[in-house]
Amino acid sequence: MNVSLFAGAILNGLVTGMLYALMGVGLSLILGLLNIPNFAHGVLYALGAYVMFSGAKAFGFLGGVLAAVAAIAVVGAAIEYLGVRRLSRVHPDYTLLLTFGLSLILTETIILVWGPVGITFQPPALLAGGVDLGVTVYPKYRLAVMLFTAALVLACYLFVTRTRYGAIIRAGIEDKDTAAALGINIRLVFTLTFAAGAGLAGLGGALMVPVRGLLSTMGLDILPFAFVVVVLGGLGSLPGAILAGLLVGVVQSLMTVIWAPGADASVFALMTLGIIARPQGLLGQR
Amino acid sequence: MIGEPLLRTEGLTCDFGALRAVNRVTLSVQAGTLHSVIGPNGSGKTTLFNLISGELRPTDGRVYFEGRDITGLPSHRLPHLGLARCFQRTNVFPKLTTYENVWVAAFAGRTPGALGFLRRASEFSAVDTEVRRILGDIGLAHKTAAPAETLSHGQQRALEVGVTLASSPRLVLLDEPTQGLAPEATQQMTQLVQRLVGRYTILLIEHKMRIVMSISDRISVMAVGELIAEGTPDEVRENRDVQRAYLGTRR
Amino acid sequence: MSRLWSRNEAVLRFVLLLAAIVVLPLLVRPVVASEIWIFAIAAMALNLIFGYTGMLSFGQATFFGLAAYTAGLMMIHWQAPLLAVLAAGTLVGALAAAVLGYVCIQRVGTYFIMLTFGFNQMFFFIAYKWTSVTGGDDGLPGIPRPPLALGPASIRLDSSLRYYVFVAAVFLLAFYAMKRIVDSPLGVIFQSIRENPGRAAAVGYDVKRYKWIAFTIAGGFTGSAGVLYSMMFGIVPLESMSWIISGDIVFMVLIGGIGNLYGPLLGAAAFKWLSEAISVVWERWPLILGVALVLVVLFLRGGLVEAFTRLRDAVGGPRARREPGERVAVGVTAERETGW
Repeated sequence: MNVSLFAGAILNGLVTGMLYALMGVGLSLILGLLNIPNFAHGVLYALGAYVMFSGAKAFGFLGGVLAAVAAIAVVGAAIEYLGVRRLSRVHPDYTLLLTFGLSLILTETIILVWGPVGITFQPPALLAGGVDLGVTVYPKYRLAVMLFTAALVLACYLFVTRTRYGAIIRAGIEDKDTAAALGINIRLVFTLTFAAGAGLAGLGGALMVPVRGLLSTMGLDILPFAFVVVVLGGLGSLPGAILAGLLVGVVQSLMTVIWAPGADASVFALMTLGIIARPQGLLGQR
Repeated sequence: MIGEPLLRTEGLTCDFGALRAVNRVTLSVQAGTLHSVIGPNGSGKTTLFNLISGELRPTDGRVYFEGRDITGLPSHRLPHLGLARCFQRTNVFPKLTTYENVWVAAFAGRTPGALGFLRRASEFSAVDTEVRRILGDIGLAHKTAAPAETLSHGQQRALEVGVTLASSPRLVLLDEPTQGLAPEATQQMTQLVQRLVGRYTILLIEHKMRIVMSISDRISVMAVGELIAEGTPDEVRENRDVQRAYLGTRR
Repeated sequence: MSRLWSRNEAVLRFVLLLAAIVVLPLLVRPVVASEIWIFAIAAMALNLIFGYTGMLSFGQATFFGLAAYTAGLMMIHWQAPLLAVLAAGTLVGALAAAVLGYVCIQRVGTYFIMLTFGFNQMFFFIAYKWTSVTGGDDGLPGIPRPPLALGPASIRLDSSLRYYVFVAAVFLLAFYAMKRIVDSPLGVIFQSIRENPGRAAAVGYDVKRYKWIAFTIAGGFTGSAGVLYSMMFGIVPLESMSWIISGDIVFMVLIGGIGNLYGPLLGAAAFKWLSEAISVVWERWPLILGVALVLVVLFLRGGLVEAFTRLRDAVGGPRARREPGERVAVGVTAERETGW
């Protein structure tokens, strides 16, 4: 196979992989705290992209990205405060269904506001064009996104595992009643964590706009992959989600050049094999 | 009493990481007796039950029931072998009715072949008779249609015992049946347990000392995961180690 | 006295059901009416594993779609007769559920949901890309409607009304089968697993095995529904395998009222009728669906059944009722799969 093509595929895989890792981290945070898979995670990603698009028209690229993160984090906080919190006494399945209902509402809202037609977007001038990496020429923007997302994911990991606030979050996940009894404002932690998870999804969407463009179905499209990442990585494992995200991204990208029709199915085959070989996920407990 | 004990543990041990919750407990329960396990909070009594009934795997040691090694068997196998337990925190089926609670436990021992499942549940008259008998025994015959979650705490404890008995076991592990009960309900429960003596072999965890002393044939005392004494109620009452465990070292 | 009332009530409900079957094609187009009973079967199946056994599957379209494609291919390539196709689809649904179920059952709660969802996606992508077999995005066209061969007689089902009668008949059979299952010991056993799987094991049930049984049975029922769907439009659309349908089925069960035999029927009827009515007027009708779901989840978790029950109680006086979904205070632990 063409080395340049192969190298390009690997790099694409890393870009997608870092995005998947980012989605996985956000989903994992929410999953750990609320014990439900957030079916709205995909649409929060999509919403981030669309808000960024509109924001960029007014405030430029960076402004657009920041607007997206802020807006989606607020949406996340609202979802937690107005909806999820009300269902805390009820079986977690209902919270799941709430997020599913919200995903429908938000997807249709996107179409109502921005229309059903896909939109493309150019990267900011600073990051336009390609970089010659010897083996291949690769778009500067994608490289930048990959590196930035990697740094962000690492920062999230360090935050959760090394800081006091991270410890509070982990305590809340471990045993929310005891954490509350110890004086931790567990409700605030929940709201902020959901907001953070949502914000990460929105950020992912915003950053990927110059790479993937905007499509009304983008939320529904990415959700299953985010789920695969979390299941493969091991529920409740942040490093697992990161590792799985990269793995899934690279596998999917390589399959696209090796045998394109099988690219998406291969991701789920990977998940199936992973679950069978290692039921707790790559880095999960038990 | 001489003869093969109904239940026998040998060096039963359970570690949770660095914490040894049960430390080499060896005891025997003779058939037909009421054998109590007492000890201060946190002494490992419920953990011991969990090790016997398959809720937990022992780190070391063995459990024998009717001479047969049952160590580490999953919990769903034990009722079929003749061993059933009740739980310290009421562990019934909340939205099922009292009748259904007992029924489902009673049916487990009588699951027919695949074709038998084609019959309606109401057609199993033998199970129905058994369920009504147990409901009568535990004093809940007037509450058959009530969802379990609507029962009072005392009624739920009684149901807890009823569900355990429905498996038609030979050995019953009762974990604090009088837990949280007011004095009158406690008396009723004690009488219920006494009615069971002879029909079942009972291994009982209890905190209320007067009950334990008055109805037990034999008592094992645990502290900090270990068996520190064993004997008849009188022997245990006089035992210095037991007094120390309950009252502290100054004596 | 109350037993007499509840027996009369049961008969009344069934009579109402028969009446609904007869009257429905007069109220809506026969095509929509057929879809209602088709999805009612799928909703009943989900109700068995979700309402009764407590497992939320977000991937029932896997079995729906696999059966639909199997039926379609059999009819196109082998000119298979109607009842054979129905049997084959049911079998395919059950087998697929048996295999996938075995993997999914190993986990509970969130993990289980995501596994069912993930498998659904996998089969969807396979159907999407394997265009030579499935037709991909365009669907599998040319599905005939074989006549119903009953002994010497051969009844043609060409018109949508005739097909409706056939669908309704299959539905009634499925309903009867489901009722027998639910009235059998399995019904109580499944519910005990939902209520308290730890205790269900402690009284002697191999919980994983019974969960697997429930999942497999549900797969079979869903497969029959898929077969009926394949013959609706002369084409097996790709969406038969899509998680949109999985979600729709979850909707129907929830909106109708879970854990109740008639709930899924109400849900399927409400869902199909509403989506038909609204989609004609407004293309963005999933928005309404989403809002309805959110409202039901927040305020009316018992679904339409609860709404009717409240109405009946308001008219006739209250009776001991079980609130679905409420977590109990005493001694029951909801299953947790995650932790840091």
